[in-house]
Amino acid sequence: MTANTPAAGRGALAGIRVIDFGQMVSAPYCAKLFSDYGADVIKVEPREGDAARSAGPFPGDLPHPEKSGLYFINNTNKRGVTCDVGSAEGRDLLLRLLQQTDVLIENNLPQRMRAWALDYATLAATNPDLVVISITPFGQSGPYSGWNGYDLNAFHLSGASSRYCGRPNETPLEHGTFAADYFGAVTAAAWGLAAVYGREQAGGGQQIDVSCAEAIAATFVGGQNIGCYAQEGRFDKRTGVGMPLGAPATILPCRDGHVWMLALEPGQWNGLRKVMGDPEWASLEMFQDMYSRAQNADVIYSFIREWTMEHGKMEIMEKCQAAGCPVTAVFTIAEAAEQPHLKARDYFVDMEHPQLGRLKNLGAPFKLPASPGGPTRPAPLLGQHNADVYGELLGLSAADVRQLARRGIL
Amino acid sequence: MANSLPLKGIRVVNFGWVWAGPVVGQTLGFLGAEVLKVESAARVDMTRNLPPFADGIPGPNRSLSNHACWAGNGSVSLNLKEPEALQLACRLIAASDVVVENFGPGVMERLGLGYERLREVKPDIILFSMPAAGLYGPLEHVRTYGLSLTSITGLDSLVGYKGGDPVPVENAFSDPYAGIFGAFAVLTALNHRRNTGQGQHVDFSQQEAVMQMVGPAYMDYVLNGRIGGPKSNAHPTAVTAPYAVFPCAGDDRWISIAVYTEDEWQGLIAAMGSPAWAAEFATQSARLTNIDPLHERIAAWTCAFDDRELAARLQEHGVAASPVLNVGDLLDDPHFRARGTFVEVTHPLGFRETIYGAYVKTSRSHPEIHPGPIIGQDNERVFKQILGVSAAEYERLTREKIIY
Repeated sequence: MTANTPAAGRGALAGIRVIDFGQMVSAPYCAKLFSDYGADVIKVEPREGDAARSAGPFPGDLPHPEKSGLYFINNTNKRGVTCDVGSAEGRDLLLRLLQQTDVLIENNLPQRMRAWALDYATLAATNPDLVVISITPFGQSGPYSGWNGYDLNAFHLSGASSRYCGRPNETPLEHGTFAADYFGAVTAAAWGLAAVYGREQAGGGQQIDVSCAEAIAATFVGGQNIGCYAQEGRFDKRTGVGMPLGAPATILPCRDGHVWMLALEPGQWNGLRKVMGDPEWASLEMFQDMYSRAQNADVIYSFIREWTMEHGKMEIMEKCQAAGCPVTAVFTIAEAAEQPHLKARDYFVDMEHPQLGRLKNLGAPFKLPASPGGPTRPAPLLGQHNADVYGELLGLSAADVRQLARRGIL
Repeated sequence: MANSLPLKGIRVVNFGWVWAGPVVGQTLGFLGAEVLKVESAARVDMTRNLPPFADGIPGPNRSLSNHACWAGNGSVSLNLKEPEALQLACRLIAASDVVVENFGPGVMERLGLGYERLREVKPDIILFSMPAAGLYGPLEHVRTYGLSLTSITGLDSLVGYKGGDPVPVENAFSDPYAGIFGAFAVLTALNHRRNTGQGQHVDFSQQEAVMQMVGPAYMDYVLNGRIGGPKSNAHPTAVTAPYAVFPCAGDDRWISIAVYTEDEWQGLIAAMGSPAWAAEFATQSARLTNIDPLHERIAAWTCAFDDRELAARLQEHGVAASPVLNVGDLLDDPHFRARGTFVEVTHPLGFRETIYGAYVKTSRSHPEIHPGPIIGQDNERVFKQILGVSAAEYERLTREKIIY
C-alpha cells in the first residue's frame, strides 16, 4: 500500500473502491464525499484533464491546470490517473479497473458514454456488482435525456427559480453557485451509497440515474407545490420577498450589509420590538400579527429598515437572538470564512498542495466521532498516481506505464 | 431476490419534524428502510396543518404538501411527556438501527433520549442529529428558519441581480438538501458499524453541509481574497459566456443558455442566423470582457421566440438550453411525465393526491411510494408485533393517551 492509499479501517467508508470518471462539480463532489469519508477513490481524467482544471478560480486569475480552486476543493483525498478512453487500449484499461471497483461515479452526457461504448449494459456485463452512479442535468431517460446541458440548464428546468427566486417579471435566478450540481451530487451520494451498502440485499450492482433537474423539481419545488397545483390548478411564483404571507421575513439592508429579518410568532415580534427600543409605530393594531404585517409590508419594512440602517449586522443578530428572535446576519463570503463558530468546530482545515502551497479548505461536511472524515490529502496532480494505480490494480510495470503515456493512452 | 430494496431490514426511528428531518427518513425509506416517525396528537407538527388540504377539507391528515414531503416515513404516536411513552420509545429504539432527530442541541437529553441513554438500550445505535449549526460551538443555539439558515453560510450573499442587494430565496433549499445529505451521513455511519460493530452520534450541522455549496466562491476568497456577490445567473467562476437566462415571448417566459465550448458558440451563432455582431465576440475573452452587451444582443434575439421551441431548436444546434419552467409547467412537462417524477396516489383516507415519486431512477430497485403517514398509522403493528405489547395493554395505553 502506498502513502497515498487511505489508512485501512480508519474512515467510515474504508473498504469501498470508487472510480470518479467525472468532471467539473457534480460527479467529482459526489466522489469527494466518498473519498473524504475513507473510500479509496481513483479519479480517471482525460489527457487534457477535468474541465474544472481550467475553470478557476486561480491565484491572481492566472490559469494553470494545477491551480484551479474548483478542482482543488472537489477532489481531495483521491488518487488521480489519466486515461484516453476514446482509444481501444484506454477503454480496456478503464474496464479492467472497473472489474475491481465497487462504484463508478460519472457525469458525462448519456450519448457521450454510449459513444465510448461505456453504456450501463456494457459496464454491468464487465462487473455485475458495479454500482454506476450517473449524474446528469436531465437523466438517462425521457425526451431531454439527449440534450446538451449544464448546471444552469438543470436548475432552471426544475421550477425552483420561477417559483422561489427573483423579483416578479424579472429574470428568475439561481443561487450564484452550482446549486443543481451540488444538489444532484448529494442526492447521488445518498442513493449510490445505499446501493453499495445494500448490494447483496438488492441482488447485485445497478445504475443510479440522477437528474439534477428532477431531484430539485421533486423534492424542493414539487413537495410544497405540486399537490396544490394538481388539485386546484393554481400555483405561485417568486415575489422577491422572503416570505410574502408573513412579515417581517425578508433580507433587509443594514449599516454594514444585510440581515435576514424574521419575526413571525408573537414572542419573536415582541423580542424585535424590544430590541428596536419599543418604537411607537410598532404598537399599531395593524402590526400585531404576522399576516396583517404582511398585508402592510411596504409600511412595516420601511419602518424596520430605518432602524436596521442605523445598526451593524452582528449587533442586530446578537441582540435579536438574545431576545428570542431568529434574525441572522447575511454573512459575506469573507465573514462566513472567518466566523469564530466554524473555527471553534474545526470546519476549516489547512492543506499543503504542491503547486498552491499551504492553504485553507472547507473541512468535513458532517462529524463522525468514531470514524472522522474530511480532506487530508490534496487533489491529485494530473496523472500523479498512474504508476501507483496501474501497477497496484492491473500489475503494469513502471516501464509499461511510461510506454502507455508516451503513446498518449495515459 | 429480484427488486429488493437495498436498505431492507434497517429500522429507523425518526424524531425529525417540519421538513429536513422527515426528508432524511424519506430518503432512507425510499431505499427500503422501515422508517417510523415518532409524533403525537398532543403536539401536532405545524406542517400537518399547512394548506391546501385534500378536497379542501382541513385536518392534520389532509395537508397535501405534508404528504409529499413526509412520504416514505411511517408513523407511531407517543406522547413523550408520559414516562410510559418514553419507555415504549426506548423499547422501539432497542429494536432499531438508527435514530434521527433535528431538534436543537440538548433537546433529546431533556426528553430523556440523549445518546448515552440510547446506548444503554442499544449499544451500537446510530444517533443522527442535525441541528442548525451543529451540536457545539458559539452559535450552537442560533435560531434560524430553514429559509434563512443559508445566510450564515455565505450562500445568500451570492444570490441576486448583478451589483444589487441579495435577493432572498423564498423557501428552504437547505431543508431537502440537508435531508438527503443527512441520509448519506447515516449510511456512512451504518457502513462504519458494519466494518467495526460500533455505533456513533453523528453531528450534522446543517450550516456546514450547506456551506459546501459555497466552495467555488470560498476558494476565490482563499486564493484571491475576493468577496463574491450577486451576479444574476453569470457563471459561478466567471470562465465562460454567454451563460444566462434570457427572455422569451409571452408572460414571464424565459430560457437558460449556457455556452462553454467553441462548438457550442458556433452552434449558437448558426441558430441565430449568423448575425454580423457575433464577430465582435469571436473569442471567449471578448465574450467575457463584454458580457453585458453580449447578453443584451442575445436577449434581443430570444425574446421573439417561444421558450420550448427555442430550446429544442438550440439543442438541435448542440447548444445547452432549457426552458425556465414554472410550477404549472412541471406536472405536464413531457420529460418529467416520462420519468414519473410526479405520481398520483390514493391516500388511506380515500382521496387521490399528487406527490413526487422516486426522484432517482434505480435500475434494480423500484421503491413503492405511499403518501406521508396518518398520525399513528403504524401503532398496532409496531407496538403489538414488534414490541409484543398485549392487546389489553395496547388498549389501555391508547385510552390513557400514552399512545397518542
